Amino acid sequence: MTSQAKQLALEIRGISKRFDATQALDNVSLNLYAGEIHTLLGENGAGKSTLIKIMTGVQLPDQGEILLDGQPIRIENTAQAQHYGIAAIYQEPMTFPDLNVAENIFISHQHRGAIVNWPAMYKDAEDILSKLGVKLDVRSQARGLTLAAQQTLEIAKAISLKVRVLIMDEPTASLSAHEVLQLFNIVRTLRDQGVAILFISHRMDEVFQISDRITIFRDGKLISTDLANEVTPQSAIRDMVGREMGAFFVKDKSERGNLLLSVKDLAKEGVFTGVNFEIYQGEVLGFAGLVGAGRTDIALALFGAAPATGGEITFDGKAVTIQSPHQATQLGIAYVTEDRRGQGLVMPMSVAANMTLPMLRRYLNWLGLIRHRAENDTAEEYRKQLSIRAESIQLQASKLSGGNQQKVVLGKWLNTNPRLLILDEPTRGIDVGAKAEIHSIINKLAHQGMAIMMISSDLPEVLAMSDRILVMREGRQMGIFNREDATQETIITAAMGRANEVETAVK
Amino acid sequence: MLRPERLRELSLVIIIFAVLLLFGTQIDNYFNPRFFRTITSGVMIIAVVVVGETLVILTRNIDLSVGSIVGCTAYTVGRIVADNNSISPLSLILIAIGMGALLGLLNGVLVSYGRVPAIVVTLGTLALFRGALVEFSGAKSVTTSTLPVWLNDLGQINLFSVGPFDFRILVVPAIVVVIVFQLVLSLLPYGRRLYAIGSNPEAARFAGMPARRIVMIAYVLCGALSGLAGFMFLARFGNLTVVAAQGMELQVVAAAVVGGVSTLGGSGTMVGALLGAILIEIIGDSLIRLRISEFWKDASLGVFILLAVASDKIILGRVRDIAARNQRRLEQTPTQVAPQPKAQKDSAHVQ
Repeated sequence: MTSQAKQLALEIRGISKRFDATQALDNVSLNLYAGEIHTLLGENGAGKSTLIKIMTGVQLPDQGEILLDGQPIRIENTAQAQHYGIAAIYQEPMTFPDLNVAENIFISHQHRGAIVNWPAMYKDAEDILSKLGVKLDVRSQARGLTLAAQQTLEIAKAISLKVRVLIMDEPTASLSAHEVLQLFNIVRTLRDQGVAILFISHRMDEVFQISDRITIFRDGKLISTDLANEVTPQSAIRDMVGREMGAFFVKDKSERGNLLLSVKDLAKEGVFTGVNFEIYQGEVLGFAGLVGAGRTDIALALFGAAPATGGEITFDGKAVTIQSPHQATQLGIAYVTEDRRGQGLVMPMSVAANMTLPMLRRYLNWLGLIRHRAENDTAEEYRKQLSIRAESIQLQASKLSGGNQQKVVLGKWLNTNPRLLILDEPTRGIDVGAKAEIHSIINKLAHQGMAIMMISSDLPEVLAMSDRILVMREGRQMGIFNREDATQETIITAAMGRANEVETAVK
Repeated sequence: MLRPERLRELSLVIIIFAVLLLFGTQIDNYFNPRFFRTITSGVMIIAVVVVGETLVILTRNIDLSVGSIVGCTAYTVGRIVADNNSISPLSLILIAIGMGALLGLLNGVLVSYGRVPAIVVTLGTLALFRGALVEFSGAKSVTTSTLPVWLNDLGQINLFSVGPFDFRILVVPAIVVVIVFQLVLSLLPYGRRLYAIGSNPEAARFAGMPARRIVMIAYVLCGALSGLAGFMFLARFGNLTVVAAQGMELQVVAAAVVGGVSTLGGSGTMVGALLGAILIEIIGDSLIRLRISEFWKDASLGVFILLAVASDKIILGRVRDIAARNQRRLEQTPTQVAPQPKAQKDSAHVQ
């Protein structure tokens, strides 16, 4: 297949897109050929998702153009993308649970006449599904179908639209090995019928199994495009991680104190399993891995927000089962969420009120009323300590910048006097200056003897700030590396998996 | 296999008969022609409105202003015909429908293009439409003596009788509306899109549907049907004050919810909504005949809404689980490998 001269299906020319401080895409050009599976590789945030959003009309590019059959086209919404034969399938399928299988397949059809012809629709749906070699009752509701079946449904929908370019954004992330094989058979069938497929996956073995061509993204730039048989896992990883360390604050060596937390065989059904680690006072344990590898789930289990279903937790020498955030707070565990807007701050409330929220009982007088002066004193203290830039602690939290909001969340949890501080993506979406400040705060806290668990998808950050680094992949612990032994390559290799696994897990 | 919607409709029919039997043993001379007339003429008005309400609820929105729209159109049309007795019936009906549609359009524009939550918009217009009516009417009433003869007679015309039970002519528009919109839901692309939008709004956007326009049209249709119901309300009662049809939204929403229209959008049928309307009308009127205070009628509506939602969550959820499990079994028949935790749990069920 691959040896023949390919017909150009879609041409992407010089696309750039900027969001506030981040250049999400920087002058990206890419050709997609009919009958070829083209894979995009890159870390989280490298720009793959933005490219997809531009191709499907969810976002408009700042610069550049997309050409179909040599003609520039303007894609302003999904309907237009479909009109040009561009369809996308996501990790979470976009199905309609209340509609049946056949309706889901034909939902976008504007041209099926004024009246729905049910028998014909069922028949067409069955035809498409049987071409894909799938058994599904076309009359049953989509609610309750397995993820794999819903993916198939999405593919069938794309086929019914006479798709020319099919984008598949991590379609295998939630599938079992067997389901992945079935999906790949379907994908190959489509390729052989002349569809151009843009495939995204973080699983290295899959990428090399299915791809005809591989493009690597890093920091919004296209680094390389090569035929798959000219790329090796090593060269791909090298291209993906070639990031400069930049002006990173590097944690200095802090005194390792007593053992605070030890976790044995921690598991949560269907999410993560076999997690073992220890955290000492004064230590930063970094958690690396791809988004969705189960790192946040471990944090939520330790914080009691989504308790673990198996394993043992020993905190400060005592065996504990943590069932609620309240209990975790009592023990001295604090969790600074990755989702500042959703879970971290009450945006319309003042900075001061946000800071005392978890410990409000401490700020009540004998009548049960809030003692505002005590509250303000605390807030002022953290404003100085964390150098939060707000005109006043009475300002609404929503008025602060992302970095300062993050400091307010941090202050809020420091006020609970935690012994173990869990930080989930502490610097995501924050500008460089604030980032360095937060790093220096983390460093200071470790020196004060606090144990810190830091989840981060930012590899240079993990490498610079951690004493040891635990790497997760798809709910399993891939190893714990000492900082001295860890490089970007070793971490990303462990996080993405390669034929020969890294087994230099150092304790 | 019985689908959850059919199951819901079937159980409603059974409940209706059970309720009739129950009251029949409690009330002397329960099944009399007069009671039948009260029920049918009550249901036929609610049914028309609930069809409109269902269109809106399917899209995961709500219209609380229907009672005010019915009241406004009934009163306004009554005044128009009182001032000009020679106006033709057809133009009067069209005025009612058009005025309802216009009020619905206001709701629809605010909800779909103004991005204001539906409950806020329609709670506002509920008060606004009613307030405007009170203001412009000068608190005067419409009375039968000012209405033309044909309109006073319209509510009394008998279409046909089954034994002693009369079916009035006003049953016709109600039945036509239910049938037509049931067909719209099941046969027209527009109907399927209503389900799609309520079922998964984000997926609807990704599928390239004009979601805002679809929602707005649902509100316009809901208003238009409420306008038609306003005309029927006038024909039924003749004597109207500015509080006409006040509080009807409670009955309408109750009928829809009891009839299996999910407030989370995406599921429900017109037939179910009609059955819901019949059930709550029977219970309400029967309670009155038990000489229980009128207030208990409203309280019982509240209880029914809560019961319906709870049973929806518990019973229908279970039915769907079973259906889903059967489906999974079908999918996995050819090759069952996958040593996934999920699959194991399933096969344990199968054994």
